[in-house]
Amino acid sequence: MQRKVNDVGGLPSTPIDHEEHDPTFFEKRIDAMLMLLTSPKVHAFSVDALRRAIEENTADDYTKRGYYEKWLKAIRQLLIEQGIVSEAEIIERIDAIKKRKN
Amino acid sequence: MVKLGPPEAHCRTPTYLRGTSGEVVELVGHYHNPSLLAFHKPGLPKVWLYRVRFKQTSIWDQYKGSERDCVMADLYEHWLMPTKEQ
Amino acid sequence: MTNSNPHEHNHGHDHDHDHDNDHDHDHHPINADHEPESDDRYLEQALRELLDEKGVVTATQIAQQIDIQDSRTPALGAKVVAKAWTDPVFKQALLAKPLETINRTFDLTINTPLELVVLENTPELHNMVVCTLCSCYPRMLLGIPPAWYKSTEYRSRVVVDPRAVLEEFGTKIPTSTEIRVADSTADVRYLVLPLRPKGTALMTEAQLEALVTRDAMIGTAVPSIGSGLYLNGDG
Repeated sequence: MQRKVNDVGGLPSTPIDHEEHDPTFFEKRIDAMLMLLTSPKVHAFSVDALRRAIEENTADDYTKRGYYEKWLKAIRQLLIEQGIVSEAEIIERIDAIKKRKN
Repeated sequence: MVKLGPPEAHCRTPTYLRGTSGEVVELVGHYHNPSLLAFHKPGLPKVWLYRVRFKQTSIWDQYKGSERDCVMADLYEHWLMPTKEQ
Repeated sequence: MTNSNPHEHNHGHDHDHDHDNDHDHDHHPINADHEPESDDRYLEQALRELLDEKGVVTATQIAQQIDIQDSRTPALGAKVVAKAWTDPVFKQALLAKPLETINRTFDLTINTPLELVVLENTPELHNMVVCTLCSCYPRMLLGIPPAWYKSTEYRSRVVVDPRAVLEEFGTKIPTSTEIRVADSTADVRYLVLPLRPKGTALMTEAQLEALVTRDAMIGTAVPSIGSGLYLNGDG
């Protein structure tokens, strides 16, 4: 039976990295965005949907991408799924932001 | 006993527990089905959630700890089936 | 926006939603300087701007939420543990109805659809908490989980060889003590109530609080007289 990427209990692994850092401001913003999007008042999508979206990532993505980066990618997918923002709007806005920086 | 399958689109039953027998510790409650919530559906009908305890020696062939050690997990009813008393 | 989810208390969350707005100080400016550029940075900014413009999530709300999250640290969990060690009536109520008891005793309004369960350690039983499927954690009491808790290494190994994991944390539990690993697979969040260390009979609640580390409440450490020098460190 095929395991999903997140279903890791019991898989062979390596020593745990105990290094800790205070969350960066970037990470805090993503965390805050997620809390608000999944809050009862806003309810853009459920936390179950977030988990599912992360599980739909490739195994490669799952191991290589950072924790908050995975959240960000899932948030993007779910906002589009729910019709809150469109793919086109996101692409356009990223372009505009890049242009602003120059 | 935790079922082996069938696969579920969003599954909260870890693979490592499938096919293992354990003991129900508590009926936790009645919840919206997370597998449906995960796809923006209402999650009905609700499903019962059970707290189940498994001996580590039942889960793993070569468990390296104490005979007394256990894992406990909260599992939804549709992933559980009764086993005969041993 | 379309939502088909009913607002009942049984939604699965990694996190609680404490929307207290009792913060009245300056908020962080949203666009901080010196952040390296990358596609993810642009994406975060793009989403944040779009959500703000559409009135879904505003910049002010983000700033407020960051402040709320910053205010949640393991200190609250340590308070709960220290009180349970010194007050048997509180402890009994805590084990029976954890969140309700915590809210009432500490005059809080932790409001979450999740359930909290307190796992009491005894000389015969040592509890550890994990979420093998993602990173569910009792954020309402302990704040944000450490990176190692979210790592695939911890999540894969603690269910199959908890004693080896404990050794890595410098914690030794005798084989005569049962180790129970609680895998947070549903809407329940677990907090370990560690054993009160020996030699602390004369300590005040406040002194005891200082001994309770975050790792002790996850189950990877055991409080001792020497623990708690760094709240996030090993016991």
